[in-house]
Amino acid sequence: MTWRDTAPPFEFSNLDVVAACERDEVGDGLIRDLQRTRARVRHVWPMPAHLPDDADVVFSEFAPDLASRIPWVPGDPKAALVVILPREPSPDLELLFNCAPDAVLHRPFTGQAVVTSLMLARAHFNYERRLRSRIGKLDETLRTIRCVERAKAILISRRNMREDEAYQFMRRQAMSRRVPISTIANAIVDTEEMLG
Amino acid sequence: MKSAGFDPHQWRVGVLFSSTGFMAVIEETQLRGTLLAIDEINAGGGINERELVPVIYDPASESAAFGRYAKRLMVEDRVSTIFGCYTSSSRKAVLPVVERLNGLLWYPTLYEGFEFSPNVIYTGAAPNQNSVALCRYLMDHYGPRFYFVGSDYIYPRESNRIMRDLLRANGGEMVGETYLSLRARQHDFLPVIRDIRRQQPDVIFSTVVGDSTIHLYQSYADAGFDPKVMPIASLTTTESEIRAMGFDVGEGHVTAASYFEGVSGPSNSSFVARYKKRYGADEPTNMCVEAAYFQVHIFAKALEQTNSTDTDLMRSMVLGSTFEAPQGRVSINATCSHTDLWTRIGRVNRCGQFDVVQQSLSPVLADPYLTGYGSPVGCQQA
Repeated sequence: MTWRDTAPPFEFSNLDVVAACERDEVGDGLIRDLQRTRARVRHVWPMPAHLPDDADVVFSEFAPDLASRIPWVPGDPKAALVVILPREPSPDLELLFNCAPDAVLHRPFTGQAVVTSLMLARAHFNYERRLRSRIGKLDETLRTIRCVERAKAILISRRNMREDEAYQFMRRQAMSRRVPISTIANAIVDTEEMLG
Repeated sequence: MKSAGFDPHQWRVGVLFSSTGFMAVIEETQLRGTLLAIDEINAGGGINERELVPVIYDPASESAAFGRYAKRLMVEDRVSTIFGCYTSSSRKAVLPVVERLNGLLWYPTLYEGFEFSPNVIYTGAAPNQNSVALCRYLMDHYGPRFYFVGSDYIYPRESNRIMRDLLRANGGEMVGETYLSLRARQHDFLPVIRDIRRQQPDVIFSTVVGDSTIHLYQSYADAGFDPKVMPIASLTTTESEIRAMGFDVGEGHVTAASYFEGVSGPSNSSFVARYKKRYGADEPTNMCVEAAYFQVHIFAKALEQTNSTDTDLMRSMVLGSTFEAPQGRVSINATCSHTDLWTRIGRVNRCGQFDVVQQSLSPVLADPYLTGYGSPVGCQQA
């Protein structure tokens, strides 16, 4: 799985897209419209027991058991998901909610709808992933902040650094060694303890 | 969440504890505590005349399976409430599911803190409710040199980070730190025991969990160490692990917990009696049974008011509620959805029970981010 966080969500070339849809007129149109965006499109049908997870975006026909066919748990998706809803009957909203889609397409749909759903799904998916990553980093920071503070105090008293200098010093060390700042802070505190 | 297709005379809830695998020794007891509470509620007529029905899966001590079963519970069984999880890894596997689908996980286990999900009610101890008091007690009674041994996953590493910090702040010292696989066998502990013999610490601080707990204590006993001068101190070793290792092996070691079977008071005596009546006179209760038990009752009380398992309604009803638990009066802290619990320190006696050697004067406010740690915890010698 390749992440393309640098590409804007409206840049589709080189995207891996799965289309799990019937090859009727609408399905053929979907595949054509997706290919027109220069995305690499893989068609799967009939609906597999588990949808592929090695794609950037998955378009899938709705089915009552779709949530079970999605190969990840809600809240930890491996790809953006666009659910294709039938013209009739109107969907069971609870079942749709359980799939946690990033966008939907209602049959029949236009080529413009395909492009906008692709953009929205990518944007939502990437945004959610950035938020989750930020929460993860915040959690880590909260766990380590006491140690970082202690290491800062050691640098201030031992090396006569100002507070901001002490922090920048640790940040530079962390970046050049490619380790979290908490690792540097821990090392400073440990060394201080050892030297007494 | 709707319950279309399911019996409208029932309240269905999910239950996820391992009955098999290396965590079964403790998770099985949490399952029992949960089922005892459910039975009591149904015997009393259910909740608003509807029966409480558990949908139970066995994730077999595999963290990823907890995530998959949580999805199945919410998507296929259409429950919004899940009682479950012991290890932090399993909780973290369930977390994205309940957060994305807006469910409510009731988590009856002590853990390392530093988490606050709006989709979890935490009913086990946060570090300020066990580690802080334990660190002080051990330093006062045994000495400042601690040797850390733990299972290799999130909880022991995070918990040790906190304990190390507390130790430093109190002028103590960590003289060793070792992690073993959750599947460690007895021979895996031999190098650890040798290292302990070399280091001669005052205290062995253990965050070993599951089956390997028994191997650690057994290896310690085989080595001929004396718990009077160098006890194993733990936040996770309960009456159930002591029973599994043998009372003679466990005697003299120390655990900090909100609840021990020997806690006095009418609420606990009748709880213990009911538990033994259902599961057998030899079956001990423990802190995890107790939390698993009282959290179902808190859920039921709230559900009686909301008459809906909708997470948003339940959550606002639950926050701030209180309950006479076997450990004493507890309340769900409205600011952090953790539970204000009692702090106790117990030492194992030769009957496999913990003698309470210290306890808080009142429930200790949950402080999962340790924002106020360092301030004195009101303790009295028992």
